[in-house]
Amino acid sequence: MKHWRRSKIATVLATVSGLAAALTGGGVFSAAPSGASTKTFVIADTSSVQKIDPDIVTNFLDFEALGLIYQPLVQMSPQLVIKPDLATKWTWTHNGLVLNLQLRHGVRFDNGTLFTSRDAVASLKRAVAAKTADPSASFIGSVKSFVENGPYAIRLTLSHRDASVLEGLTTLNMAMMPASAIANGSIAKHPDGTGPFEFSAWSPGNSFTMVANPHYWGGKVKLPSVKIITIASEQSIAAALEAGTIQMGDLTQPTVVSSLPKSIKISKALSLSYRVLQMQDNQPNSPLDNVNNRLAIECATNRKQIIADALSGQGQPSGPVPLGPFASRPVSAICPTQNLAKAKAYLAAAGNPNGFSFTAMTSDALDSTSAAQATTLQAQLAQVGITMTINNLDSNSYIQDWLAGKFQAAFAENGADPNPYVMYDRYFGAGADLKVPAGYVNPTIQKLLAAGDLATTLGAQKAAWARVSNFLTSHAVWDWLFDAYNFEAMAPNVKGFTASPVTSGAFAALATTHLS
Amino acid sequence: MLLPLVRRLASMLTTLFGVLVVVFVILRLLPGNAVTASLGVNAGLLSRAQLQAIDKFYGVGESIPQQFFSWLWSMLHGNLGVSLSSREPVSTLVGSALPVTLELAVMSMILGILIGVGFGMIGALHPDRWQDDVGQGLAVFGLSVPSFVIGTVLITYLASIFHYFPSSLGFVGLFTNPWLNLQQVFFPALTLSFGIGAAIMRTTRAAVLEIKNLNFSRTARGKGMSQIAYVWRHLFLNALVAITTMSGIQFGYLLGGAVIVEDIFVLPGIGRLLITSITDRDFPVVQSVTLIFAAGFIVVNTLIDISYTIIDPRTRSR
Repeated sequence: MKHWRRSKIATVLATVSGLAAALTGGGVFSAAPSGASTKTFVIADTSSVQKIDPDIVTNFLDFEALGLIYQPLVQMSPQLVIKPDLATKWTWTHNGLVLNLQLRHGVRFDNGTLFTSRDAVASLKRAVAAKTADPSASFIGSVKSFVENGPYAIRLTLSHRDASVLEGLTTLNMAMMPASAIANGSIAKHPDGTGPFEFSAWSPGNSFTMVANPHYWGGKVKLPSVKIITIASEQSIAAALEAGTIQMGDLTQPTVVSSLPKSIKISKALSLSYRVLQMQDNQPNSPLDNVNNRLAIECATNRKQIIADALSGQGQPSGPVPLGPFASRPVSAICPTQNLAKAKAYLAAAGNPNGFSFTAMTSDALDSTSAAQATTLQAQLAQVGITMTINNLDSNSYIQDWLAGKFQAAFAENGADPNPYVMYDRYFGAGADLKVPAGYVNPTIQKLLAAGDLATTLGAQKAAWARVSNFLTSHAVWDWLFDAYNFEAMAPNVKGFTASPVTSGAFAALATTHLS
Repeated sequence: MLLPLVRRLASMLTTLFGVLVVVFVILRLLPGNAVTASLGVNAGLLSRAQLQAIDKFYGVGESIPQQFFSWLWSMLHGNLGVSLSSREPVSTLVGSALPVTLELAVMSMILGILIGVGFGMIGALHPDRWQDDVGQGLAVFGLSVPSFVIGTVLITYLASIFHYFPSSLGFVGLFTNPWLNLQQVFFPALTLSFGIGAAIMRTTRAAVLEIKNLNFSRTARGKGMSQIAYVWRHLFLNALVAITTMSGIQFGYLLGGAVIVEDIFVLPGIGRLLITSITDRDFPVVQSVTLIFAAGFIVVNTLIDISYTIIDPRTRSR
């Protein structure tokens, strides 16, 4: 009887093992089960490509994906310097009121037509047209006319001097597209650009596939095709990398990155963005309308500890301008590091020696580390008697309240630019689009920003933007926290890829990447 | 015979209409709309003219009753609308996602029933012995550990130890590559089946234990009936009504669980479509998917009600 029972158990175990072995690759656990394509370079991201019209994209992944298909006239290099792209050179004339751009010869769109000044003018006119609803249109809002100047040159005439127009042209929202595609309205359905890859297929919410552009003007592309797939959890992306079914994973959570085995390569770059505690100066009955209370918060902030707790150390303290030639150094004019004695002095000056209370909103859905940052700062502020209540919201509630300025303070991840005018004119400039969520209106900062935009030499620009950084931190307009790393985790056989801080150029290195 | 059927159909349609109204109202109560969901904080950068253009594009300006009746009218004509984010017809999105979820649901139910009925029967036949303890332990595990924990642990383990994660390759249809498809669906189905199996196991065990103590059951054993015939004809068939009822209830929970498990295992099913659409405030998709979930639940439970007349002849005369 016992023998019979043992043999029955053995049979069951053998069957289960056989089934498991068969399911996991025909008896042997295989790295890539049948059906895996060895030619397609697969990238996984927690997000999905949401729009394929480059003029209206706002999602990071949309910028990254379409940045392989479309190109603007000028681009931001990984070193954050403006360099040629489809425009080979540019000159300012008429006392800075006219920008002349020479276009690259011999560039073809995916539909086979040559790129000319007609396409460039049509693309820029489409970007600024109200019905397109291009969120970057205001960056070149000072341009009053776009004119063809021969087949390979265009001329932009400005209403007033505005050096930041060139920065405005680097965004993918100003991508070049065929005039014929604009005329027949096919852009929103079938991307058609000049970049290293051509559009192949799009399954909304699931995948976005591109193939190498055989006519790419920048040289032969080694990867035959690239597919971006959506894997909603970073843990699952890590699993797919370990399984060898994807070649690259976009990761933001340092805890997931640190759990990867050593065989997975990591390329990291500080992102062109910054984390900040936005404080509203103009809310009724809010203690944050007192500059000394805000300065107390700034001085009680220990940025390095926030980075250590919320990001496992994967970031660096940041001031108003996180990266580039005009980066804020030191990060604050008042308290670059935590200074509790100074914080208490500011509280006393504000008439609140025992501290005060305020509420800050966060959204883990928009920034997965947001609540963790808030919790650490909450403990730091408590050291000087400041009570910060955390209100964690879903993404849409947060956005709604943020746009309406219905908050005392908000933890935010804001996009950055090497040019401080592009970054802050929208918040603090004279005609700022985002002055309501910015919550701070002051004629001095408006003048400082306008003066910086008029500066033409590097030395004058550095001095002007240092004054802006100094003003923003010495008035504790907001409490700037840090700049975080973005990670590209790669399979061991991926060669030639380096991460870039520029969003639309994040995957640009794929043009020269290959698999060993 | 016809009247109860008509009554049941009317009740189904009333429930579905109720679901339609509730879902529609709840979605409109949520803060934000398709414009803020699509553009995020960048919506603040748009000029008034740009905002008007984009509001028109997303149909944000229409009144709520206008939106409800135009959607209802389209639904009655078989038109589920167009996705606000991808501009694809909702029927296309649902058409590609629904078979994936159905396959997952069917496989999960099969595995859940096999686990639940199997361990439930064994436990009831050997009460308070090690076989019963194993089943009870599994039931506690299945009921207390959420499916997203089981799923995450399973994929991490399979990927790090066996370098195996077939569903991350991109989903392959059942008729395109049946073997790869089976590999892609098996582990998510197994993850879901623990919860289903646990509930079915407890029901089966309780029902069989009760039947074992009834007079007819003891008489059958006393008369020397064979073990197999006794278990099958007297225990299993009599417990089937309770097992079927619990399976129907579990099917409803299964659809909810599939939403998370599809995300973890990268299956492009209707659950994942629902999550993405809620985040994007893509109302036409959310409304249609919720309606499909509700319809699925109602249809399955109606089928189960009808199945009682087949399983239990006594109900036919009622």
